[in-house]
Amino acid sequence: MLSLPDYFVIGLYLIGTLSMGVAIGRRLKTGKDFFLAGRQLPWWAIGMSLVATDIGGTDIIGVGGAAYRHGMAVANFEWIGCVPAMIVGAFVFIPFFYRTGVYTIPEFMERRYNVAVRAILAACWLLFMACNLGIMLLASAKMMAQVFGWEPALCIIVTASLVGIYTMIGGLAAVVYTDMIQCVIMILGCLLILIMGLIEVGGFAELSHRLATLNHPMTDGAPLSPTEINASAESTADHASLILPVDTPSPYPWPGIFFGLALILSPAYWIGNQAIVQRSLGARSEFEAQASYIWGALLKNIIPLIVAVPGLIALVVVPDLQDSDGAIPALVGLMLPPGVRGIFVAAFLAALMSSIDSYLNSAATIVTNDFFVRFVNRQASDTQLLNIGRVTTLVLVAWAIVFAFSLNLLSDQGGIYAIFQTLLAFFQGPSFAVLIIGVFWRRATGTAAVIALLGGIGTSISLCVLNQPWLAEAWQLEPLFQIQEPFLYFSIWAFLVTAGLLIIISIFTKQVPAEKLQYVISNRNGRQDI
Amino acid sequence: MTILHHVGDVLRGLLAEVPLYAVRLLFVLTFLLLLVWVIRLPKERTQPPNGARRWDENLKLGAVLALLLQIIIYSLL
Repeated sequence: MLSLPDYFVIGLYLIGTLSMGVAIGRRLKTGKDFFLAGRQLPWWAIGMSLVATDIGGTDIIGVGGAAYRHGMAVANFEWIGCVPAMIVGAFVFIPFFYRTGVYTIPEFMERRYNVAVRAILAACWLLFMACNLGIMLLASAKMMAQVFGWEPALCIIVTASLVGIYTMIGGLAAVVYTDMIQCVIMILGCLLILIMGLIEVGGFAELSHRLATLNHPMTDGAPLSPTEINASAESTADHASLILPVDTPSPYPWPGIFFGLALILSPAYWIGNQAIVQRSLGARSEFEAQASYIWGALLKNIIPLIVAVPGLIALVVVPDLQDSDGAIPALVGLMLPPGVRGIFVAAFLAALMSSIDSYLNSAATIVTNDFFVRFVNRQASDTQLLNIGRVTTLVLVAWAIVFAFSLNLLSDQGGIYAIFQTLLAFFQGPSFAVLIIGVFWRRATGTAAVIALLGGIGTSISLCVLNQPWLAEAWQLEPLFQIQEPFLYFSIWAFLVTAGLLIIISIFTKQVPAEKLQYVISNRNGRQDI
Repeated sequence: MTILHHVGDVLRGLLAEVPLYAVRLLFVLTFLLLLVWVIRLPKERTQPPNGARRWDENLKLGAVLALLLQIIIYSLL
């Protein structure tokens, strides 16, 4: 249970965050202030906000849980799954998007292709963000319930309300500046559990030694079933490795990590994810937008140490957990004395709130910019846009609370992190294929983009459905994929199908008008004026 | 077995033949290629419009540092 000093730390953090958001909100006058912070954000704040947004409560619990279950390979999502894409984004894509003056990626897609591509992408992002808000709230509720015995329903409602208030009042500026503070708190809190954990197990060398000598079914000497053989392949020796073989039963075999994550999902996320790109569009200048990505890439190097390694420590300290998502909460309960847990809880809340606020603000931007302004009222005044942004934020908070309660019924069937990644994989591959080909190939047409996008999304969803055990059993077939949660493979195939369709159909359809070609990076240096 | 299962089995078989040390090399080479690309970028893409007045205004340095750390990590783990 938490002691009075813990509650004091948590209260201080919550009041500070809320006050900051409300103070920033007083300066907002227009829709541009709300959605792009008046394009006045500094690079250092954006860079920390990028990291804080990417590391949510789902990551602190989910990545730690995945490290507990599958090993260090989950760190690929923070390393090869972030750093290369952020660097390419900083030097090629972010300055290009910044110069176009767009508010959203779907808006860019209309300028390059047509309104249908914009509408489909905006709908996908909105659906994903709305679902993801519920996933993140549920993660917090599980954590609070397990460690502190708090009522999950109350956790969901209180967290959503607090984030909702400052995001609704302060818009993107409040999101970015509170994220910056939250990033610092999050790193400090996670560092605390890492240090305490390493002290408990005797340092990195001892952790590595104990991981290698942990008992698993191979050591029993008894005959193993095929499932047990697979499980033993995922031995504790593999827990320290980033690169896992093709036949690993974990979701992270190297082809999935390299082709699915590093080449497709990661660039799709850092270059095409509205919640990520939006804050760099609010930078003071094109250079500061670029600098924010480089600063973020540097910070990313330390993140797995503080979110994944504690999962490995938990494996050594509490090896018999049934639910891997309970690894980090269990570690917090065991390691941190009363009075110090408040710092970790504040860190967890910081991580959670920094992601929720970003997705709330970006979802509101999409509703306002890509649906209301585009399809309902193109002449909306700045004050109207500000009000619509705020009302949408409020509605999304209510939706997120409802969805979190619904999701609670399903979350025991798989890790929270896998649910999040599977949702993303449905459309990230296809949307990235359309974006990347459109940006670099003048011949890509709007009609082809629409068909390819729908075909790609259909492919990833079909693969997911065809891989369900109940369907394979009904049709007397083996599952399509032999690894658990093969979301990385969904994205590879969906990307390839989308790219193939886009290229073939573009060749047979009418060329795009000249005004669309200004949204193609045509010269060698990518320094095209728009 | 469907055609999709056959395609999957063939690909899985081919990729399983690749030794893990070659895979590690592939990961590290990817970062090395990116590093070379960053180093070769022209000034106008890595510095403010009026040029870098301080060392930290050259984005190449941060990018190179981030990539070097990744090369070390993927060489060791």
